[in-house]
Amino acid sequence: MAKKKSSVKKTERKISKALSKSVAKKEKEGPKEIAARIKEVARGIVKDIESGRNPKFKTKQRGRGNVLFDEKLGIIKLGDKDTTRTFLNIAHARKFLQTMLVMSKTYEYLTNNKTASIREVYYELKHTIGNTKENTFEDQRESDACIVDLEHSIDTIREKLNVHANPKGTLYGDITLVDRQHHNDTFNCLKLGRGGWSIMSRIEPHEIEIKKINAKYVLVIETSAMYERLVEEDFARKNKAILVGTGGQAARGTRRLIHRLHFEHKLPVYVFTDGDPYGWYIYSVIKQGSMALAAHSRLLACPEAKYIGMTLEDVEDYGLQNVTEKMKPGDIKRAKELLAYEWFKNKPWQKELKKAIQLKIRIEQQALANKSLEFVAKEYLPKKIKNEEFLP
Amino acid sequence: MAEELKSVITGERLAKEFKEHSVAEFFKKNRQMLGLYGKVRTLTTVVHEYITNSLDACEEAGILPEIEVKIDELGPEYYQVTVKDNGPGLTKETVGKALGKLLAGTKFHRLVQMRGQQGIGASGCTMLSQMTTGKAIKVISGTGKGNTFACEITIDPKRNEPKIENMRDLDRNFRGLMIQARFKGVLYRESVMGPLEYIRRTAIANPHAKITFRSPKGEKVVFNRTSTYIPKPPKAMKPHPAGVTVDDVVTMAHHTKAKKVSSFLKNDFERIGDTALEKIQKLVSFDLNKDPKKLTWVEAEQIVNAFRKIKFLAPSADGLRPIGEERIRKSLESIVQPEYVVTLTRAPKVYAGGYPFQVEIGIAYGGKAGISTNNNSRSQEEEFGVRVEIMRFANRAPLLFDAGNCAITKAVHSIDWKRYGVRDLENTPLTIFVNFISVHVPYTGAGKQAIADEDEVMEELRLALMVCARKTARYISAKRAEIERRMKRDMFYKYIPEIAEALSKITKKDKEKIAKKLEWLVLTKLKLEKREEKSSKELKVEGKDSKKVAKGEEKIAEKSG
Repeated sequence: MAKKKSSVKKTERKISKALSKSVAKKEKEGPKEIAARIKEVARGIVKDIESGRNPKFKTKQRGRGNVLFDEKLGIIKLGDKDTTRTFLNIAHARKFLQTMLVMSKTYEYLTNNKTASIREVYYELKHTIGNTKENTFEDQRESDACIVDLEHSIDTIREKLNVHANPKGTLYGDITLVDRQHHNDTFNCLKLGRGGWSIMSRIEPHEIEIKKINAKYVLVIETSAMYERLVEEDFARKNKAILVGTGGQAARGTRRLIHRLHFEHKLPVYVFTDGDPYGWYIYSVIKQGSMALAAHSRLLACPEAKYIGMTLEDVEDYGLQNVTEKMKPGDIKRAKELLAYEWFKNKPWQKELKKAIQLKIRIEQQALANKSLEFVAKEYLPKKIKNEEFLP
Repeated sequence: MAEELKSVITGERLAKEFKEHSVAEFFKKNRQMLGLYGKVRTLTTVVHEYITNSLDACEEAGILPEIEVKIDELGPEYYQVTVKDNGPGLTKETVGKALGKLLAGTKFHRLVQMRGQQGIGASGCTMLSQMTTGKAIKVISGTGKGNTFACEITIDPKRNEPKIENMRDLDRNFRGLMIQARFKGVLYRESVMGPLEYIRRTAIANPHAKITFRSPKGEKVVFNRTSTYIPKPPKAMKPHPAGVTVDDVVTMAHHTKAKKVSSFLKNDFERIGDTALEKIQKLVSFDLNKDPKKLTWVEAEQIVNAFRKIKFLAPSADGLRPIGEERIRKSLESIVQPEYVVTLTRAPKVYAGGYPFQVEIGIAYGGKAGISTNNNSRSQEEEFGVRVEIMRFANRAPLLFDAGNCAITKAVHSIDWKRYGVRDLENTPLTIFVNFISVHVPYTGAGKQAIADEDEVMEELRLALMVCARKTARYISAKRAEIERRMKRDMFYKYIPEIAEALSKITKKDKEKIAKKLEWLVLTKLKLEKREEKSSKELKVEGKDSKKVAKGEEKIAEKSG
């Protein structure tokens, strides 16, 4: 058993190294570099027009067909299939215009040092076209899609385009941050009260600087209730832990922060979710990235993250059989899907998933309260972390 | 015995009554048959009678017709119709017979393609005027050689003889005929069945005529001539053996100048030669050297039966006088004012074994073609706000009534117009012109407003329509492609300013230059598309159609052969 563990560790270290290298280059790109890249794309299009060619905008194909799992880096990646949008195509023309508008707007943000939410981008660009009754955008989904296209086209994330989605997630622990875009406010996240710090959407180094950390690991928690429980038990202080509450599926900003804590400060990341398909997938997204944002895994994923619980072994170890819940047909279907994912194809996870499918049960984080409220903070987590009882 | 006596008396009385039974009574009782029912229709029929007389007279005299029609409202349902032409005019001797004697026309017993084969004739109008208003018709006539005169004419209803009054010479040089008549119980409407529409259609089918119309409202409409070609007067035709009845043969035999049945058959029928005579002789039980005056019904029956068994050459179409493709085109262009016209004059065909006929088609699309549903005056009597216009003609005379029963209407509706790019026939700006030409038009009834759907007639109408429809389809699809191209261009164009601005903001390049170049790109691109689209669509239509036509032609060939 011990042998196995060390071999797993070895490969993971290798993965981390490879990823760190490629990440480092991406990380350094600031607004200037990104703006320059947009300009480069725009120039290419103008050149097309000037030389009488159908102007085209190239971006990455994003369907399942172009998503793959990079075993070497341990992340979900986008393949290299391109898709081209041309102006002189009835089906593309409108979208081409929209992309140009988004390009021009983000270029403006980057050069004027402004940031905006994706909803603001939508409202800033929405207007009636010329003498028609047609709007540039009818729906925020249209502008959102263009932002995604642009991210992929110039191989960056929207946060680096000075555009962001709605923030979600909280941070608590002995970590000092500097908001460089806002009076250089400097604060320690252990001293913001029980609510902790609301994680912003853009966590780019030129905006949020991680000044100082006094912690041994990052604990990512799925449910807000469990996050609050651990804050109340003063878990962070007692265990030198950074607590990150995701409140369900982790937002981009939250993932970006976890990523940075791990890669910049070498902190191990432990993920604590419900023992069900939803929780498992939250873990999987933090670790390998998601299919929707496959292109950005390098800046968002954390391949060395470990799964701490809940597991079906916990049920047996702590006698939680009477507080398990039945899996619904949808849950079972989803579990079977996870079973087939490339990155769940290792022995411990196959065993865990198969067992869940067989027993048709799921276990929530809160079920630990069955023992006592403090049980999770005083016994469950410390013991698991000490003994390294993780799923890979 | 008493009964017998009674019946004799009654019979005598009847005979006497019948003798005195006035032409006027006959007229009144048979108005329907004569096309004189309906207040609107009656007025249109009157106009028809006068105009066709004028056109026929001009044609026979080789004159380019100029006809003026004026209708004045004198009171409620009380109108005065004035028609003036530049024809050869009538003489004092002929004027009475032409305008004051019913059924005195020369057309009834000849096999000639004539316009005025239906209706009541100009004398009927005189009768109608006199019956409804008690007034005589006023006539001015001149031959252009100084003998201009004026008179008033009524009909003596008992004797069916003209009564000419107030005859006086006029001291002016005039060539032509002017008739002025008053009618009560009629109504003027500018509907599809009204006089204006009748005149419009007459003008279309007679491009050599100039017709001026003044409505009761005082509006003046001029239909100018688009052709100076005066149609040659049609030739009288001998009957073709395949088209005659026993009664025809008996009647003809009793009136012939021939001394023998054989020469009677040879001279008085078409396509009967010596070979045919020999065959007939073998099929009948009597000697063909017999005096035709003594030909019996039974013998005539034998002759007709023999006719049926022998193959004759199809009748000559010499008697047919089509308008001509080019003249129909010009006429439709001038009067209907469409975007596109296609016309076709088919070769003569034969129906019912013996009657030659010919079909002319004109399809006008777009522009002012079809019936405008916005223009209330023209669409009042249309039931569903119909937009397609079907103009039916028999020997150039418009058929305005009884459309539903007519072979032309049936043929038009039997065609799958969707095949020809007409998605919804009823709501398409189409004017379909059909002229049916024959020395013997197979009318469905005494009203003579609908052509019977004889197999050969239907087949020929359909074929002719399909040929024209195919050409129209090409135009419609090209037009649609053009509209689509324009729409596409506009769609691209509307995005250009914004794209140019966005790109200019990033690259700092001149906005106008980028926009100009983009517009140029769009135009270049669409020109390319134009060629591709057109060729592919045309090929489709062509392929589908030629097959159908070929099939149809085979069918026709089978039947006539």
